[in-house]
Order: sequence, then structure tokens, then C-alpha cells
Amino acid sequence: MIKLFSLKQQKKDEEGSARAGGSQKKASAAQLRITKDLNELNLPKTCSTEFPDPDDLLNFKLIICPDEGFYRGGRFVFSFKVGPNYPHEPPKVKCETAVYHPNIDLEGNVCLNILREDWKPVLTVNSIVYGLQYLFLEPNPEDPLNKEAADELQSNRRLFEQHVQRAMRGGYVGASYFERCLK
Amino acid sequence: MATTETHVPEQQRRWHNIRKLLERSGPFCHPDFEPSPDILDFLMESCKILVVGAGGLGCELLKDLALMGFKKNHIVDMDTIELSNLNRQFLFRKSDIGSSKAKCAVDFVNKRVPGCEAVAHHCAIQDLDEGFYRQFHIIVCGLDSIVARRWLNGMLMNLLQYNDDRSLDQSSVIPLVDGGTEGFKGNARVILPGLSACIECTLDLYPPQKTFPLCTIANTPRLPEHCIEYVKVIQWPKENPWGSSTPLDGDDPQHVGWVFEKAQERAMKHGITSVTYRLTQGVLKNIIPAVASTNAAIAATCATEVFKLASSCCTNMNNYMVLNMADGVYTYTFNAERKPDCVACSNTTRVLDVEPGAILMDIYEKLKEDTGFLMKNPGITTVINGRNKTLYMPSIKSIEERTRDNLKKKITDLGLYNGGEILVADITTPNTISIKLKFIENTDVEMSR
Amino acid sequence: MASPSPKSPEQSEKNKQYDRQLRLWGDHGQTALENGHICLINATALGTEILKSIVLPGVGAVTIVDDNIVSDEDIGSNFFLECSSKNLNRGSEALRLVIELNPAVQGYAVQEPTDQILLDNPDFFKKFSVVIATSLSEKTIQNLSNHLWEINVPFILCRSVGFLGSFRIQLKEHAIVESHPDNEQHDLRLDVPFQTLFDYLNSFDIDSLDLKDHGHIPWIVILYKAVQKWKISNSNRWPMSRKEKNEIKAIIDQFKRLDDNGMPIYEENFEEALRAVNTALIPTFLPVKIQELLYSSSAINLTKESSPFWILCSALRTFVEAEGKGKLPVRGTLPDMTASTDHYVALQNIYRNQAAIDSEIVYRKVQEIVTQLHCDHISESEVKLFCRHAHDLHLIKGSSIVGEYQFNNTVSSYIARFLEEPDVMMVHYILLRAAEMFRSEHCRAPGEWEPESDISKLKTCVSKLLTDISCTPFPKDDHIHEMCRYGGAEIHSVSAFLGGCVAHEAIKIVTKQYKPVNNTFIYDGASTNTATFTF
Repeated sequence: MIKLFSLKQQKKDEEGSARAGGSQKKASAAQLRITKDLNELNLPKTCSTEFPDPDDLLNFKLIICPDEGFYRGGRFVFSFKVGPNYPHEPPKVKCETAVYHPNIDLEGNVCLNILREDWKPVLTVNSIVYGLQYLFLEPNPEDPLNKEAADELQSNRRLFEQHVQRAMRGGYVGASYFERCLK
Repeated sequence: MATTETHVPEQQRRWHNIRKLLERSGPFCHPDFEPSPDILDFLMESCKILVVGAGGLGCELLKDLALMGFKKNHIVDMDTIELSNLNRQFLFRKSDIGSSKAKCAVDFVNKRVPGCEAVAHHCAIQDLDEGFYRQFHIIVCGLDSIVARRWLNGMLMNLLQYNDDRSLDQSSVIPLVDGGTEGFKGNARVILPGLSACIECTLDLYPPQKTFPLCTIANTPRLPEHCIEYVKVIQWPKENPWGSSTPLDGDDPQHVGWVFEKAQERAMKHGITSVTYRLTQGVLKNIIPAVASTNAAIAATCATEVFKLASSCCTNMNNYMVLNMADGVYTYTFNAERKPDCVACSNTTRVLDVEPGAILMDIYEKLKEDTGFLMKNPGITTVINGRNKTLYMPSIKSIEERTRDNLKKKITDLGLYNGGEILVADITTPNTISIKLKFIENTDVEMSR
Repeated sequence: MASPSPKSPEQSEKNKQYDRQLRLWGDHGQTALENGHICLINATALGTEILKSIVLPGVGAVTIVDDNIVSDEDIGSNFFLECSSKNLNRGSEALRLVIELNPAVQGYAVQEPTDQILLDNPDFFKKFSVVIATSLSEKTIQNLSNHLWEINVPFILCRSVGFLGSFRIQLKEHAIVESHPDNEQHDLRLDVPFQTLFDYLNSFDIDSLDLKDHGHIPWIVILYKAVQKWKISNSNRWPMSRKEKNEIKAIIDQFKRLDDNGMPIYEENFEEALRAVNTALIPTFLPVKIQELLYSSSAINLTKESSPFWILCSALRTFVEAEGKGKLPVRGTLPDMTASTDHYVALQNIYRNQAAIDSEIVYRKVQEIVTQLHCDHISESEVKLFCRHAHDLHLIKGSSIVGEYQFNNTVSSYIARFLEEPDVMMVHYILLRAAEMFRSEHCRAPGEWEPESDISKLKTCVSKLLTDISCTPFPKDDHIHEMCRYGGAEIHSVSAFLGGCVAHEAIKIVTKQYKPVNNTFIYDGASTNTATFTF
């Protein structure tokens, strides 16, 4: 037990009085953790990151350019926002590229379990990168966010593949327009 | 004896109860405890306590501390009073709705307890600086936010001073007593920053917020909560009923009404029942049930621990108590253990000697070659005027390209100074560590002295 | 189907004010609380802290009985007294400042000594839902608790001395329908499916489902199918042992779809089915605790005075014996599980409808009994609630404080058992009792003036108590010394802790929800330790 009692007669420094040497504001726990995550980021060759402001490690973009599967040749941008409660809460990730995908809706919401219900503080940005990359290799029609795309993938793979291609080249699939996103 | 009692001044008689604990010794007292009237003087005249949060726990704490002899209490809270606070935040009345919680609480207690000089701060905890926090002997915290707890924890870690041999300067330790409640359950704990488990060491004890898979919400809703979440996450940003610049506000009854209505439509479509207004509000605001009694019990436990810390009249709880009042009344106290690699409290700053004229490359090389570090790929950042600055990060291509030039710059030109700290992340350490720069004077000069 | 709701229903003021607690005990719990009337004897710091947490949530009324005059010490430890209260009646002053917390609560103050009321107007206490007392003398404790036991009014006796505190709840009988268990067992009836459930479960053929449906059938169906398959080769038995349950798991694994490489495809519902094997295959049965309730004499020998609880138990028993075929009514709730909306909602409705049918039958039985006995009507919603919680009904049969004070055989051997261990919390109990005895013998608290000189006197009291329960004296005097150090001081934060707890227990008693302490709670603020004893 510390002897706080020794402080009995001691009055504390009054408010505002600076200590010798001045004080440097420290980085938050979230900041320290994300620095660590990023420094150890081990990106697959299909992925790269972009930092609009290199001093701001809490907001960045991840670019995925799949080299196999339905989405080969496409270029998909995800925005990452890391909040002050990281890693207690996961980063907020949105897909900024319009994509015809069973697990990504037209607003850019991504259905990936570790981004919501299965997030754990031991997971890192790397885990999310691999999760996202996997979504492009193995779109999962069973838990759809874009129901039409999912139904199509299950019922008619060829048609689905054609639609993915059309969307990536830029054009309409059903009533939705997709911007070109081929590399 | 009885006759002398009648002559002691009223003030002394008023504190008769706690004086018995402070002026008499007992067989279970802390070995260092020396009973004396000076202790009450210290509590009343010198000891400064900061209460963080003027909600359910904060109101109770302010009252409890005032009646345990503490006069110089401060309380900080940025919130204003709402009707739904009144079932437990007993220092507020209907006429106070809209006023500052901190100010109302202080006014009430100062008026009720003569001699009490509590001070209110109606602002966010983040608005107050190190100098502010350093003035307190003990900080008690009654918050419902994990972010705020973690911030405060970080602040108290920052206030720690280490001696040159990297041992902790105990006079820089400000104990943190933390309480929390949820419905009929609660917890209270004592944290000695740098000495015992901190908030960050035990982050696992806080349950993550309940979330549902996005695809369930979008396609296979089963529960009324799924319907409400759907409207909140998918439908609101799509339809933007109040225009795209108006985010969903769980406190705006019109917004809640809109979500309620849409969630009911969705529920009806899927044959799901029991979407109620109360549930809608609960899901949108993530409302945690709260009742006066649990708050009273947890705040009182915290106040008792503050009293023990300040008076040394008794050993503190070691160090985490859980309370469950749902089935009988049950408590359990255990020793939450420190995490050796805790990002907040294991970070005893290391020191790196550098020449004042060094360039960043010198530091980078030292981190890789110095036997004390032997790092592989250190990423270096710092905080300058409260802003994060990335100095060099070799592992991320886009950042490396834009920070490469820094390697050639003089560290003083980059804003670093003697005694300043850099943050270094590397696979050789479990966390980002902070390293204090110590400028070494030129050896020739030293010898010539 | 429910009718469309009105647009944006604004909640009432009261609902907004009590929102955070309504989420714990519901509107009906709040109504019960608002019909409650609490009596507090002695507005000490502990007393007003208790009242505070009962008045804030909105109890109907409070009455304070206190004939004391406010002293400086009172003001120093009691938040609900102010400097101007000095030398005025403590109860009236405290009432004024406590009632101010919540204008919805009625308040009354009675300035007569409790002993006097017991002599002159013992019926005074009949109107209260709970009587709570602090700092009573040994003699008054016995007289009052005896009287409250006889008139069947719940009583909570509280103490706060130094770092120590305690409360003792005296109730004759307390029935709880909504005990809100932390882990509610599910009631799925897979072993004895009722007709509609049977038909539904058998409407599936796992092998012929397409991949999408395969991943969205509720695990209940998967588990049921696995068991049916297992039963064929096991003479129609129900799997009970660990080995048999592992065989069920193996069958579930066989149900899984395989990918092109012959590897099982991961499907959440199948994983849930595997996880549920150990808990969901427990056969449906009538819990012993509930059986005892249904066949207790209070449930069998009904009279016009029988409480609704016993009438409900009696109706439930006839249901179990007849329509229920030995089982309780179906609970009607379905845990959340991975499933398509249609499957989940269909299954949920099957359970719900059966629960409604069962509770309807019980309701008719209740009506018959009520008509026969000419007693008060019991509403359909009450019956529904009762059936919904039939698996978790809880009855507390209390004991009298007088029996505890006179150390009848059961009580003394119970205490002796803890003291032999030795259990320091039971030592605290003895000291609290000894301090009470000291006060009645010496007209002051032990150590009130001088701690040292009272140690031997308090030791005599402890010895007397220990002799009464045939225990050997304490080897050391340290706890006796500590009690004398306290000198009867009431420490605010200790009283505030107990105040929260006691208020909480009073609310549980008034709302008849959640299980209260049965029946004695001891708190030591010095070691942050608590214990519950059942005298």
C-alpha cells in the first residue's frame, strides 16, 4: 500500500502551475495501439494503403486489387476510421467504390463478422484486411447484404459473373449504376 | 468525560462519528496509521478530491464525500440535466432540467452541508489539462463511458514521474477509485496508477456493446431489435428524412418516432412482434437501465475507499469488487492483476541519449543497433503541441515515401527537444513504447569544465 | 395482428422520469411500487439513506416514526437534516427533506416512541407494505418484530456501527413470480413435442433442402432430426449420457453439407445445434421445487383467505395433473438463433400459441376456483405472467426475529457451525448483537466515551451470547476492541451502502420481483466483505 498519508501536510500544486521541464501531451491508448498495428501491417500483394495525412494514423484508406476470382482487375477503396475506443471497438470500415457484391450494399456497408459482432480487441487492422480480401475471393451468398447479387450467385453463377464484370466496367446492373473501377 | 463533551464546539460535535475512526487506533488499522486530530484537518482543509461525472454515481459521491469530512471536492461533467435522470440523480429537481449537472450538484451540496466548498466544472474531461488533474490527491470516477475512463486512465499514467533508475516516484501517483453500475449490478475498484492493475489492463472486463450481424439486420431479421437496427444503420442514411446533414439523434423525440414507425413497418412485414417505443429508444441510445439503490451502494463503496486512502485508517480493498443485487445481495472482491504488457501502465519511459545536433537517421540507427533496443523496423511518431506527428514509418510504403526526408533533418528542426518523447512501434516490443530523448553535451565541453 | 400504432407516441412525463427503472421491473412493477407504503422507524443517516432510494423511484407513501430531537452528530452524518433542523423533531425534519426528492410521494411523520405505539395503537402498523427500523433497542426489536410477525407485515431491521452494518428481513411468506434468473432455462419440449410443434419439426427433410435453406433452418430442427435418427437404432430411447450425446453430435456432423473437396461447409446454425446438444436435450420435467409448491398444503387447502399466488398454484397443479400430462404450461419463448425470418417467426408462433392455449386452460381453472371460494378476481394477464414464469416460481418461508434473539436450537447450532470454521462475518454478527446488549445494559454504545474501559464490559456481553449458543469464547479480543473503537459511531458511507441495499430489498418485497436476501446480510466496510446468513 502506498502511503498517501505522507501527503497529509502537503498541499498539491495549484491548478495550472506547470512542472519543471514542461509537459508534453501524450498519445492516447488508441493512438499507441494503431501505431503498432500499422507498423506491423503485413499487406498481401493485392492490397495497399493510402494516408491522406501521414500524421493522422486514425484515418486511412485500403485499396484492394484482386488478382483472381470474380473481381479480378477491379480496384476497390475502403475507408478506415479508427475511433478513440479502439481496440475495444472495431474501426468503422466502409467501401467507397460501388460494387456488385453479395456482402457489400450500395451504401458501402460491409457485412464482415469481425467488423461488428465478432470483433475482439486482440484482432488488428491486419485481420480486417485479410477478411476484406477474402470477401472478394469468396463472396458469401448465404449472409447477403445485397440480396439480388446473392440470389444470382446461387442460382446463376455465369450471369452473376457477367454482372460483376459489367459493374466493374461501369454500367447498370438492374436499376443501379456502377462507376467504372477497373485498374 | 461526559461533561467535556458538552463543551466541545458544535463543529467538533458534528464530526464526532468519523473522529472516532480517525482519532482512535484499532487492532485492524494499517500499521502506519497514527490516530490524530490532524487527519480530520487534512481531510477538511487540504485534501482535494475530483469527482468525475455528476450522474447517478457522481451525485451520491459528492454527498458521501461531503459527509465523510472532505470539503475541497471538485466535480466535472459536461452534461445537462434531463427528466430521465431524476429517478436516481437526487440532487436535481424538475426545475433544474437543462442546467449543468456539475453546477446544480455543487450548489445543492454546498447549501446542505455547511463548510462544504465543492467546485463545479461544466466541461468535458478532455478540456482540462495535466495541471488541472495534478492538483488532486485522489480522483473518483462515476462514468458510463469506457472511452472517458480510458482517457482519464491515460491522463493519470501521464502524470507519473519516474526516477532516473526508472523506478516510480510515488509522490506522483494519484489513486483512481472507479465505480460503475448497470441495472442491479455494479463494480467498484481502486487503481494505484503504475502500481496496480489499471483500466487498460482489465479492458476485457468491460463487455463489448451488443451488435448484430449486418446481413441478419438486412435480410433475415428475427428480433424486434434487428428491425430497429435496420432503420438506424441502413434506412436512415439512405432516406435521410431530415436532410443529409442531420444525423440520427436518439434524444430527438421526432427522430425516435420516425425510427419507431419504420421499424414497426419492417417488423410487421416480417411477422415480428414487440417493437415498442421504449425498446426503440433503448436500442438507439444504447440505454443502460439504472436505479437509485445500486448507484447508492456502489458510490458508497467508492467513498469508503477514498476515505481509507486519504486517512490510511484502514487497508484498501484489493482491488476490484463486483456487486449483484438481482438475487439477494452478493459481492465478490478479487485482485485484478496488472498486465505486464499493458499499453498504458507498463510504459515506463525509456531514455535514449542523443546529441543535440543529431538527425533523425541517428535515432533510427540507434534504435536498430543499440544493444538496449535492437529493433527491426521501428516506426517513429511523436506528439507536438497536442498533435500526433509521424516522423518515420518504414513499413508503410505511402508513409515511408512522405516521411523519408525527415531522416536527414535535424531532430530539433522536427520539433523534438531535450526531455521530449518519441513513440516507437516495432515487432520486438509488445506495444508502442515511449522513449525520452536526453541530449548529451559534447564530451569535450564536459571535460573542459 | 396488432393494429398500426399512432404516430410518434410521446411518452408520458412519468414514463420518461422512470424510464431507466421501468426497464428493470416493468410498468406493473412500478404500479406495485406506487401502491406501496413504507414505514421507517428512526430517521438516522441509515434510515434516510434507505428512504432516499425508495422515494426516488416513486413509492406511494412513506411514514417516519421518530421521537428523537436532532443533534449535531445527526447533522454531521445525515444528509437529510440541515443546520436549522437542530433541536427539532428528527422525523419531521427528515421527512420534509426526503419528500422534497419526489413530489409524487406522500409523506407522514409520527413523533411517538415505537414502544408507545405498540401499546396504544398496534393496528397502526397494519397498513404498511414494509416496516424498516434502525437503531432500535433490544427490547423494542423483540416487541416490534413479534407484533409484525403476527400481523404479517414484512420487517427489515438495520444496523450501522463503524465499518460494520447488517440488515435482517423478517417475512412469513414471500412468493415471487418474476424472479428474473440470470440464466433462464429454455422450455423447448423436443422430447415431448406438442402436436403443432411435432407437425412442424416433421415437415423438414434436411437432405432435400437447398444450400441456402440448409444454412437457415433453426438449430432446434437440426437437433430434433438428429435425435430422431439416433432413436431408430437405439430402441426409441432419449439420449442421456455423455456418450450418447456425442453420438448425436456425430449425426449432426453428418448432416453438414460438403464442399467440392469433401470438406464440411461451415454453417452457423449447425454449429449452434452442436453447442446446444448438452443443454437442450435435458428432458422436460416438473422441477422438484415447483412440485413441492404445487403440492404444499397452502396450494391444496384453499380458503377464502388464500392469496392469489396459492390459487394460481392450485390451478396450475390441476393443469399439470390433467392437460399438462405431468408438465408445466409451455413457456412460449424462443431463444434467438440463426434462422431465416420465416422459419424463426413460424417456430416462435408455434411456441407462443401453445403457451396461450395452456395459460387459457389455467385461467379457466382459476376462474372456477375463484367462483367456488367467492374470493377476488384474478386477471387473465396475471395468469399469463404466472404461467410464463411457472418454471421459476420462488417461495421464501421466513423465520421470526424473536426466534433468532432467543437462540432457539436451530439458530444456535447454525451460528455455532459458522463460528467453528471460524467465519469472521459471523463473528461480526455476534459483535453487533453484543453491542446491542451492551447498550441496553449500560445505556450507551460500547466505547462511546472511552474505548479501553468498555472492552471488558463488551467482552462480558459477547461471552453471554456465546454461552447461550454453547460456543467457546473468542480466542482474541481484537474484534471486541474494534467495536469499542467505533464507539457507536455511524459512518455515512457505510450507512449509504447499506441504505442502497435495504432500499433495494424493500423494493423487491413491494414489487414481488427478484429474490430478496434470505434473511440476514452482514457488511464489513473495512475489509469490503459481505455475507448472507439464513437464521
